[in-house]
Amino acid sequence: MKSEYKSIFERVDDQFNIAYFCTSYQCEIGNGDRVAVRWIFPDLRVQNITFQQFEDASNQCANMLLALGISEGDPVFTFLPRSPELFYFSLGILKIKAIAGILFSNFGEEALLDRLGDSRARILLTTKGFLRKVKAIWNDLPALQKVIVVDLDEHESEAILSFRALMKDASDEFDIPKTEPETPSVIHYTSGSTGKPKGVLHIHKSILRQVDTFRNILSVEDGDVFWCTADPGWVTGVSYGIVAPMSQGITQIQYSGGLKAYVWFDILENEKVNVWYTAPTALRMLMLEDDELFQSYDLGKLKHIFSVGEPLNPSVIDWSRRVLNKDVYDTWFQTETGAIMIANKPGMEIRPGSMGKPYRVKAVILNENGEIQPDRRQGRLCLEPGWHSMFINYLNKVDVYKKKFASGYYDTGDIAYKDESGYFWFFGRGDDVINTSGHLVGPFEIESALLEIAEVIEAGVIGAPDEMLYEKVVAYIRLNPDITWSKAVELKLRLHVSNKLSSLATPQEFLIVDSVPKNKSGKIMRRLLKAWYTGEDVGDISTLEE
Amino acid sequence: MDEIYEKLTDIFREVFDDPEITINPETTADDIEEWDSMSHINLILMVELKFDIEFKQSEVMRFENVGDLAEAVRSKV
Repeated sequence: MKSEYKSIFERVDDQFNIAYFCTSYQCEIGNGDRVAVRWIFPDLRVQNITFQQFEDASNQCANMLLALGISEGDPVFTFLPRSPELFYFSLGILKIKAIAGILFSNFGEEALLDRLGDSRARILLTTKGFLRKVKAIWNDLPALQKVIVVDLDEHESEAILSFRALMKDASDEFDIPKTEPETPSVIHYTSGSTGKPKGVLHIHKSILRQVDTFRNILSVEDGDVFWCTADPGWVTGVSYGIVAPMSQGITQIQYSGGLKAYVWFDILENEKVNVWYTAPTALRMLMLEDDELFQSYDLGKLKHIFSVGEPLNPSVIDWSRRVLNKDVYDTWFQTETGAIMIANKPGMEIRPGSMGKPYRVKAVILNENGEIQPDRRQGRLCLEPGWHSMFINYLNKVDVYKKKFASGYYDTGDIAYKDESGYFWFFGRGDDVINTSGHLVGPFEIESALLEIAEVIEAGVIGAPDEMLYEKVVAYIRLNPDITWSKAVELKLRLHVSNKLSSLATPQEFLIVDSVPKNKSGKIMRRLLKAWYTGEDVGDISTLEE
Repeated sequence: MDEIYEKLTDIFREVFDDPEITINPETTADDIEEWDSMSHINLILMVELKFDIEFKQSEVMRFENVGDLAEAVRSKV
């Protein structure tokens, strides 16, 4: 292993297990009594959880999973709101070298089915409230053997088990097996412009880059209090909400309530947060509040604010400088990259609107022929493969994975350019994937859901610019001729998408058309829909169906 | 429970696709996992439709809990 990592992980040569570094190692070096997470619940009740408590509880989960027949390489998922149990269980999964999948708690049945089915998940941890959704699709999930329910006091059946009862019977002692760097660790699902979501598979070695960027980009120092607001259902919430801070013995905040400006700023002040990692949409929502609200807070302990998920518009930086007297440093990465790749950081000149500079990776702009483009020429943002947190496959879609590296570089799918000083500037997506409030949603999934409604004959879905969400979901609909558009029809479509996929995927705007434009092979011309929406030149439409 | 709360309960159950949801005046988005800013729009649309009323944007922003929503409905029906 490269010497630069020796200072981060003394034992990195013989043990790469992420959960080992997050709990066992912390206890070995004397951090057992240190608070790992100050958990703030929606009612503002606070629970301090030490590294030793995480070690014991995740050991119990590891033993529980082994007793249930889970072994190395088996996919095990969680589907529940952000909670301590989610952390214990996920770390337990990693300890036995099974693969951890954390599903966003807002997913509907279709979104669940796609992910649990594709991964062939064997065990799922959920709550009583979500069990109904799971039961509705369980018949279509032959690999799913057991569902463990966090808030059930007793086992309901042989297949529906009580987490509490299982924990009572599980030992809190567990020896983590030696884990090679290439051992699969975590799977995150990400949406594409066509087909179902893809399972992005990561390995234990990813911890190296997550920690490197935690220390050297997010600039978190020993003794700091860190707060990453991302939900663990997304890559940021795992890489920087679990792995990086815990493996570094850093005390972090987890808040499981929603975004309320006064609550968030109470947390920043009262918890003496030093480094805050959040998202542009959250910052834009905070900007809606009166400046006076923020000026009443003492943020003297807050050293740095970082953002991730969508481009950070200069107005947010201006607001933060004016109201909070702080810079906001934008960072860029993807589910596939596993950790920050391009970033702004303290000590570096911020060029508002820029993604920043590549960190320990070669980034290039390629044209469609795979040729490197000169400065200021737009093209596909690509990365030289080989970074430690690089994904190793799309589950069951190796052809798609290989295609991503066809040029010899990893093709991010983003369109960008580089300036003469080495700063990268994001322009947009090279495909039809929609980035709404920092989350990628696939138009194909939404179109499919809309077509399940009898009132809809055709549907074409695009992302359109939005001041708050960066992009909003817009659906062009051709209605059944017997139907008249009404609030009731709109509500029916919205509820169907929300409950089948997730609220994030719900169209914010419906436009009724006589037909949805398709090319001669029947593919929806979303480019044309976007041009209609924005009023831009529609470009070449020679392939448009008659 | 009065008629408005009974009707609101049905609406919550339909919007959040959960037949077991119970609400009271103190219920907030923190109590219902699926209740976020996006699904809030679904909720408001459904309330407007079922009670045959309309809210102004400024009213919608002020709802802190179910009690606020119920009082706003009561003032319009």
